[in-house]
Amino acid sequence: MRLDSPGADRVTALVLFLLGGAAAYGGFVMDRLEIRQIHPASIPGLVPMILGAMLMVCAVALAWSTRRAPTGGAGPEQVSWRRFAVTLFWCALYALAAIGQIPFAPATAVFVAGFILWFLWTENDRAGSPGPLVVVAVLAFSGATAFGIAALFQYGFLVRLP
Amino acid sequence: MIDGLVQFVTAIGHLVTPESLFHVAWATLLGIIVGSLPGLTATMGVALLTTLTYSLDRDAAILTLICMYVGAIYGGSRSAILLNIPGTPASAATTLDGYPLAQQGKAAYAMGLATAGSALGTLVGIILLVLIAPPLAEIALEFGSFEFFWLAVFGIVISGQLTGDASPLKGYIAGILGLLVAMVGSDGIHAHVRFTLGFDALNGGLGLIPAMVGAFGFAEVLTVMWRQKAALVSGSLGTDRSIPRLLDLWRYKFTIMRSGIIGTLVGIIPGVGEDIGAWGSYAVAKKTSKESDQFGKGSMEGLTAAETGNSAVVPGALIPALTLAVPGSAPAAVLIAALFIHGVRPGPMIMIEAADFVYLVAAMLFFATLAIAIYGLTLTRLFVLVLRIPREWLMPVIFVLCVIGPYALTQRIFEIWVMFAFGVLGFVLRQMKYPMAPLVLGIILGDLLDKSLRRGLTLSNGELEPFFTRPISAVFATIVVVSIVAGLPPVRRLAGRMLGNGARSTAER
Repeated sequence: MRLDSPGADRVTALVLFLLGGAAAYGGFVMDRLEIRQIHPASIPGLVPMILGAMLMVCAVALAWSTRRAPTGGAGPEQVSWRRFAVTLFWCALYALAAIGQIPFAPATAVFVAGFILWFLWTENDRAGSPGPLVVVAVLAFSGATAFGIAALFQYGFLVRLP
Repeated sequence: MIDGLVQFVTAIGHLVTPESLFHVAWATLLGIIVGSLPGLTATMGVALLTTLTYSLDRDAAILTLICMYVGAIYGGSRSAILLNIPGTPASAATTLDGYPLAQQGKAAYAMGLATAGSALGTLVGIILLVLIAPPLAEIALEFGSFEFFWLAVFGIVISGQLTGDASPLKGYIAGILGLLVAMVGSDGIHAHVRFTLGFDALNGGLGLIPAMVGAFGFAEVLTVMWRQKAALVSGSLGTDRSIPRLLDLWRYKFTIMRSGIIGTLVGIIPGVGEDIGAWGSYAVAKKTSKESDQFGKGSMEGLTAAETGNSAVVPGALIPALTLAVPGSAPAAVLIAALFIHGVRPGPMIMIEAADFVYLVAAMLFFATLAIAIYGLTLTRLFVLVLRIPREWLMPVIFVLCVIGPYALTQRIFEIWVMFAFGVLGFVLRQMKYPMAPLVLGIILGDLLDKSLRRGLTLSNGELEPFFTRPISAVFATIVVVSIVAGLPPVRRLAGRMLGNGARSTAER
């Protein structure tokens, strides 16, 4: 299913309706701070309630608008979900798992080298696998990038690196 | 008015120092490179650079961010002309005539013309910034909670209306989602913690910089790697000259002036942005041109209109950003965050607390404009080389900056998670044709809307009447209601039928 298709819009409408309902309910049951004797019109849940209700209305309108929408959409775009999945996985591994567990500079060097080499190997179908010189260049580039950025933030901006 | 221009000239003098000129030189060049590369947007450039300017003093930091902004918007024209892919969304209209010109072997001349258009457009915008910002700030001093509430609603509605792809509905939804994001954390009146789901890290709310870096940085990394590679136009730059003939610029003087004004006015409208400025200028130029049949086939006038229009939005977007703390575009939203980081409080009080700062910003824009003119006319071949940088090498470096930049702000791993989540969300929403500008505007304006509504209701003892009867509120309310009604499908169909009949009867006559 394409992400810009009526089917996807219907699923989104359902998600948005539930989200709007949750926001409105959350605003409704939110503490009204009566113990602090605040003005009833300034309760913290007021705007979330309104926004939740508006999101629900928009979700219904979105679902309604898909009735007459053409199902075909624009022509197929030249995209690769495999490239997307690899990028997302590798970035998630680096940002959510490695950072904080492994020192920043080595984790970054491995991430950058792995990213470049993976796509050079899998995408470079014309020239085949990258030669040893390219691999050395990638490793040098990754090391320089990782330690350069680490040094800039640690010594230039006095950031305690993760 | 004369006083304003004198202060502007004084501010220019203040910036003529080796240190400032050095910052102008590197930041504008970096901005052009960022803008040139498809997938790297001005918002992402400004957001990432904000994280690199924490340690600079106020003027140097804002100067580099403004140079990045101006450079990136201009730089988008390089790939629009040579790749037929706008480097930033702002250059989408540039592709229509820029790429055909490149195919005709006039790529260098097209880039020169785009440079001149961008520089002149920004200059028109700077003049309007100097003239409009002070009186607007004065008017804004009259604003109370009721007016600020409507200003926030107006921003979300108009931004949703103008940036929504086919219908404004997705624009409105993006705006509401942004407002809901802003509801997370301590509320601005009673400091009551909302929607944190038990995570203490959410008590302070979701940071704008991590959210923007995710939505515009990481989302772009995913998008660039997801799509096919773009191919450079064959025949390189052609043999034509790259410095535009003065005769061409003189011939298009009205187009330049008009596009500059349209771009600036579009910039003033909250959250609309450079792409709408370019499309608006292009459409008007096409309508009024004597050579309208050439538009889309390599019209120099079309190219000039698009580039003048998008560049003029930059100073225009800074007008509400400085005087109302309401951004005119997504990069301006990041600039507002950067202003707060560096101790400047944008809003109606700016002309009282730091009047000279407004003129200093205009002077910064002036230097950035000079820099794009110099770079654009002399470094044409370098920018072609930049477009050849393989994405596999560039994107991991961008992502590393996306990770370390937000972390550096508070030194919390949590900011990296926020960036990541917004990156994935931004990617999905963009593929589903939800515009990003209302989402960003919602995050920025959420607190203002929340506080203004509740304060207004407290002041009026729960009565809604002042929201509709005070003069400025009434104007805002009317515009908001008319905009929403005009966006309803039955009304749009009816208007379309009426306009169609009108056009037919005119043709019959």
